Amino acid sequence: MLERDADIVVIGSGAGGGTVARELAPLCAQGLRIVVLEAGPKLRPDEFTGREVEMARRLYTDEGGFLTADRSMSIAFGRAYGGSTVVYTGTSLTITEPTVRRWGVPGLEHADLMGRSRKYLAQNHVHLLPDADVNDNNRLFERGCRRLGYRVEQFPLNLDGCRGAGLCNLGCPNGAKMGTHRVQLPEAERQGVTVVTGCRADRIEERAVVASVSEQAAGEPSAWAPGQYRIRAKAVVAAAGAIGSPALLLRSPVSAGLPALGRYFTCHPALILAGQHDRPITNYHGHPKSYYCDHFAGSDGFLLETCMYFPFTTAKSLAGFGAEHARMMSAMDRLQMILVLAIDPPDADNRVMVDAGGRPLVRYRFTDGVRRSLVQAMRASARIFFAAGAARVHAPASRRFFIEVADANQIDELIPFDGLRLGKVTISSAHPMGGCRMGTDSARSVTDAWGRVHGVPWLFVADGSLFPRCAEINPYVTIMALADRVAERVRAEWPHLQAHTP
Amino acid sequence: MAALTGPQRDFLLAIAPRIVPASAQLRPAARDEMLALIEATLASRTPAMRRQLDLFLRVMRWLPFLRYLRPLDRLDGSRQDAALRWFQDHPVHVIRGGFWGVRALLLLGYYGQPANGPSIAYTPSTDGNAVLHARARR
Repeated sequence: MLERDADIVVIGSGAGGGTVARELAPLCAQGLRIVVLEAGPKLRPDEFTGREVEMARRLYTDEGGFLTADRSMSIAFGRAYGGSTVVYTGTSLTITEPTVRRWGVPGLEHADLMGRSRKYLAQNHVHLLPDADVNDNNRLFERGCRRLGYRVEQFPLNLDGCRGAGLCNLGCPNGAKMGTHRVQLPEAERQGVTVVTGCRADRIEERAVVASVSEQAAGEPSAWAPGQYRIRAKAVVAAAGAIGSPALLLRSPVSAGLPALGRYFTCHPALILAGQHDRPITNYHGHPKSYYCDHFAGSDGFLLETCMYFPFTTAKSLAGFGAEHARMMSAMDRLQMILVLAIDPPDADNRVMVDAGGRPLVRYRFTDGVRRSLVQAMRASARIFFAAGAARVHAPASRRFFIEVADANQIDELIPFDGLRLGKVTISSAHPMGGCRMGTDSARSVTDAWGRVHGVPWLFVADGSLFPRCAEINPYVTIMALADRVAERVRAEWPHLQAHTP
Repeated sequence: MAALTGPQRDFLLAIAPRIVPASAQLRPAARDEMLALIEATLASRTPAMRRQLDLFLRVMRWLPFLRYLRPLDRLDGSRQDAALRWFQDHPVHVIRGGFWGVRALLLLGYYGQPANGPSIAYTPSTDGNAVLHARARR
């Protein structure tokens, strides 16, 4: 095993790790050695090809199809220099005050999170798309919502130089998405932080990280040669995501005495509906996600967003097979799509675990409330499609493959509650949260309000696993705000942290 | 070592047209590409998951024998469809889930091929906004 020394090791380079790296980077000028360990590759610009399967393999864990233990749901999360910020759609919402109140973490205030969030909205060039760049898929959603009286808002997006490739979830081929790979990490490296790609953290020991560097099929060569490393550090920040960080801690001796580790996992379970129009519309040209509807968030526990996916993802998301399925797929330029997301409750038994080989495992049980929300969301989406002029709708839990416009008055009967059959309907998630949740009680939380792991003063967590409950919005800006707090705490504690001599 | 055995490849090719009708018209090279996409995905999964797939493919093939006295891949199209719908809608979650997995692999094999994009009117552009603006001017 190769031995290395660092002052601070950050594990993960996404919204959390990239933020921490950037915020701690000024310490390099004082001689600190800060290393970021990233399991995925750093792709070259020409490696963003936009080819669906190729990019899914390059940028996602399990090609975007990480399955829960009972195979009911797949979870998509990035594995790259920039983490999931390379593959998300860039929607940049800030957490609401009622949500922070529901989180109920003493010492965590909405005003503080908002101040930090605004910093990242500015850094990441967040703004609304100009009207000329909004495509039909998005306009029709807005039109349908307004006709039905549903509250609909435009998404602020973190883009600079967007040319509307519509390939956001496969990594932007134009380099226009302002994720940590474009904003925070390059600045951190400029100030002296070392980012080691192709480097998977195996476990955390007493003030040390054991990690393995392997060659990657794509991307720039890693800063370190392949092999196993033990990196001694005075402080360690785990930012490997809401599945990666709990799994890492569970593989590590530090997990002793943390009964809540891995628990209270939430993820905004989601599914896709498609409406078919009788004429071509602009849908995969232009940014895919310009609008959202939170009209039903409080009453029925779901959110609706515009979306546009690629051929395989679309095909997989439709229920059924054969002639009807092919008919829907035969003209992708006529499809309008809506993504529905359920606001799921924290449940101690929904948890991240590790198997005998140390690989992450997620156990997730759908509550009756979440199932009901998903069905209600499908019904609302069907109404939006028809209000927008769609000729027919496919809802994966429907009694029929197609709901024709002539049957629009039977939506509730055609999309029954028992139509949501797990294992048949494709349910996915791109918002894993929880598993190292914040709190004051070490029996029911893993870190304090500043991300420090209970009982382990040199170990911090800085990613979505901190969330005590789901964010009820797209989580990345909130992750950055929390990571900003963690970095502030590491800086404040540094005189004590650096006093430790291994 | 290939992630699919010969019998597995044959079975998947036999039922692919029921899942994706257009796969029946694939030329040999495209059919090979379909299987290659499936194998590459399976290769990245755990051995346990591959064993589960192997078991489920055998179940899919032979369970219809109890009703039709023939394995699934030797039934006519309408009976194959009926059998596949039975698996899709089965009251037991693990059976539904197994079918979902096989269906997903076949969809991957067809729709995951970039060459099939134009045939389904999927022609993305790195400058999608230029397309939007041009259409708006019309």
